[in-house]
Amino acid sequence: MTATTATTSQKLKGKDLITAGIFAAIYFCVFMIGQLLSALHPVLWILFPFVIALLAGIPYYLLCAKVQKPGAVFIMGMVTGLIAVLSGQDSVIEGITFLIGCSMAEIIRHATKYSSFKGNMIAYIFFSINAVGSPLPIWLMREKFFAKISTLGMPADYINTLDALASPYMLIVLFAAVIIGAVLGSLIAKGLFNKHFKKAGIV
Amino acid sequence: MDKEMHIDPRTGIILLLLSNIIAFAQSVLWVNGSWVCILALLMFLCGCGRSAAKFLTAYLLLLILQYKLIPVAPKFIATSFSIFVNYSIMMYPCIIIGILMIRKTPLRHFIVALRKWHLSTNFIISFSVALRYFPAIREEKGHIWDAMKLRNIHGLQRMECMVLPMMVSAINTADELSAAAVTRGIENPAPKTSLVELNMSILDWIYIGMGFIFVFLAIYIK
Amino acid sequence: MVKIDHVYFGYCRETDTLKDVNLHISAGECVLLCGESGCGKTTVTKLINGLIPHFAENCSLQGEVTAASLDVAQTELYELSKEIGSVFQNPKSQFFNLDTDSELAFALENEGTDPVYIRARLAETVHNLHIEKLQRRNIFSLSGGEKQTLAFASVYAMNPKIFVLDEPSANLDYEAIEHLREQIDVLKAEGHTVIIAEHRLYYLTDFIDRAVYLKNGQIVRSFTHEEFLSMPDEYRVALGLRALKPTSIDLPKVRQEGTELGLSVEGLSFSYGKKVVFKELTFSTSPGEVLAITGPNGAGKTTLIRCLCGLLREQAGTIRLDGKRLKLKGRNKASFCVMQDVNHQLFSDSVWDECKLSSRDCEDEVIERILNDFDLLRFKDKHPMTLSGGQKQRLAVATALVSNKKLLIFDEPTSGLDHAQMMVVSSVVRKLADDGHIVLVVTHDWEFLKCACDRVLELKSYIG
Repeated sequence: MTATTATTSQKLKGKDLITAGIFAAIYFCVFMIGQLLSALHPVLWILFPFVIALLAGIPYYLLCAKVQKPGAVFIMGMVTGLIAVLSGQDSVIEGITFLIGCSMAEIIRHATKYSSFKGNMIAYIFFSINAVGSPLPIWLMREKFFAKISTLGMPADYINTLDALASPYMLIVLFAAVIIGAVLGSLIAKGLFNKHFKKAGIV
Repeated sequence: MDKEMHIDPRTGIILLLLSNIIAFAQSVLWVNGSWVCILALLMFLCGCGRSAAKFLTAYLLLLILQYKLIPVAPKFIATSFSIFVNYSIMMYPCIIIGILMIRKTPLRHFIVALRKWHLSTNFIISFSVALRYFPAIREEKGHIWDAMKLRNIHGLQRMECMVLPMMVSAINTADELSAAAVTRGIENPAPKTSLVELNMSILDWIYIGMGFIFVFLAIYIK
Repeated sequence: MVKIDHVYFGYCRETDTLKDVNLHISAGECVLLCGESGCGKTTVTKLINGLIPHFAENCSLQGEVTAASLDVAQTELYELSKEIGSVFQNPKSQFFNLDTDSELAFALENEGTDPVYIRARLAETVHNLHIEKLQRRNIFSLSGGEKQTLAFASVYAMNPKIFVLDEPSANLDYEAIEHLREQIDVLKAEGHTVIIAEHRLYYLTDFIDRAVYLKNGQIVRSFTHEEFLSMPDEYRVALGLRALKPTSIDLPKVRQEGTELGLSVEGLSFSYGKKVVFKELTFSTSPGEVLAITGPNGAGKTTLIRCLCGLLREQAGTIRLDGKRLKLKGRNKASFCVMQDVNHQLFSDSVWDECKLSSRDCEDEVIERILNDFDLLRFKDKHPMTLSGGQKQRLAVATALVSNKKLLIFDEPTSGLDHAQMMVVSSVVRKLADDGHIVLVVTHDWEFLKCACDRVLELKSYIG
């Protein structure tokens, strides 16, 4: 009797879930590194998703290579999102952007059949939306924030600077930075894949 | 007499969500401040008295920063920190609850809570693995750091060199842990049971009640 | 209980790891699978517990495997796991939970067992295996041996008919192996079927009913208990097997005073907070000598070598190299440690670049010579992660030599190695000493001690 395992099924098995969980932990560590930097200045905070996109490509692409099945990226992202929200580090807004980013990434991955670099890269751009929820409150809370500080009697040019930071223009910068960061992060990951991971035989 | 009280992880999650709503409702200071104090009390009741005191002190410092110091600070400092300080004050209740849960809720209790809420088993498995892997990441980092010191690798090169051993370790652990988990039935579709029994106590209901009251206050008092 | 009939197996379709393996194991038998590294013994264990074919992708399997009346290839792993329990060799990566109680209950919870029964079964497990001290603890605070005990207990709690152990003693010290031996004793007494794939044989000789020797993926010989024990030494070495009987170590003790030439440690004290690890430790070792550092868990071996390498700052004492006192940075520069997990120390994408990373101004001829000495020159363009364990170790040593490090420390270099590989490490260590390096080896491998070491520093747990 011959039993040969042919192509694996598309259901997530124990090994896939555990792999996703481990990479989620690494993804969360990337978040923690980013949080440290973003606390220093609002501009850095607005660039937080950019920094995450640069670094998170490594766990993301490794997961894409190891688990070419539907749901893996969604679980990896949402686990990290849940940990971020439950630990009080981020608001529920971030939870929502995670949901949007992860879902879109999965849809793209499914459409591009899981194994093309370009497909995974487009999915990664959407995946990088996850982190946008962190600085988003700057714009959501804009009115209330300015109402509050105007009562404190701050100098006008200071208010103007803050106004510029919370402007719709900066919102465009935010999303543009996400896309650029995701592309750069993908190239970084690809470089590492060629230099190390493929040569080492781990993908 | 010094017996610690516990809150159910489900209460923690509910309070967190309610605190998020309170935060974004952006009500007056006394509403938000009272909520922070009530949560600090919860922290104290659960045995983290020292942390509660530290958190309250930090909150006070943040308030002083926002209302007294930043308005008179030089422009660069004011612009750098005011948004951050404002946001921290807003999210403070969430941070307190988050830290309380991390400190006092064992992972196994959390898993049972998520199961009771019918979260997908697949998701729960990945979630538990992620939390279980954090201490391992710390250990790995320690070893790799030591190795880099001995090889005289410094600065930015350290960041680059960190990647390969970390990822190799992650993948190897994934393989070995999966083998150990599947040979102990983790893929079994039958509903999993647990030795842990979760029950909501009076403390849980009181705090959930207060949470809703404060949501109401936050939305309607401006 | 276990039937393996005409099995051919390959991890990829081109080569066969196992060729026409036939093995029948009766209920209650304890069977040892032994052989050199790569002979296929681990692969056979995977046939039994179902990791082959369910866990391996794109492999080719022919033949029939039945275990506990279940057709392994046709039964799901979670069904197989009810009858077949598996313990693996790496204590660090077998536990799924953060606390010991959850880990013990893990398998039973996965099966959906009634909590009342789980509680009863856990109480039995704790009692039968004497693991009261392991209850209610954080797994990350356990020693390697305790982790392995926990893994074993977690599988025992499932009460499977068959136990499959894949090199369970690989990362354990002497004490932990004694615990393991007691646990296997319990299994035998209860009538479980036990299959063990192992390198380290001395602790098993009392239990095994049969020993099966594999070479190149085929079962070459089967020994009965008596035949196995009475095997002459030369024959055993020819088969590539480790020693069957423990012998005493008669190595002289380390020099207890300081010295001008070589490594001199004087009055070294270290504590973690209030907990004293060692106090007023004084010893010395000269170039050309291989010093073994032994001792039970918690005695401070790892702490000591980290101090010596300059990774940990001591509270008191002096460390001198050739008469010159070395502070932390100096020790960093002068010493190197080949760690238990060599993967932590390899950073480049080729063997050549790995050496270049250590010392940019080292001449190419020097690097070539060093790599050649370690039989690594032919791999100079290969990625370090594709090398075997032994090759990685030698590469790590090569990077140290390229940086002209005088003090070389090895941390358990022979874990899980077969006889031939152990002898290779032994010759490497000896050569390094002969070349004038100061060599220290932390080890509990007494066969290695006998071949490679000159003196012993035995650390004992500090009792204040």
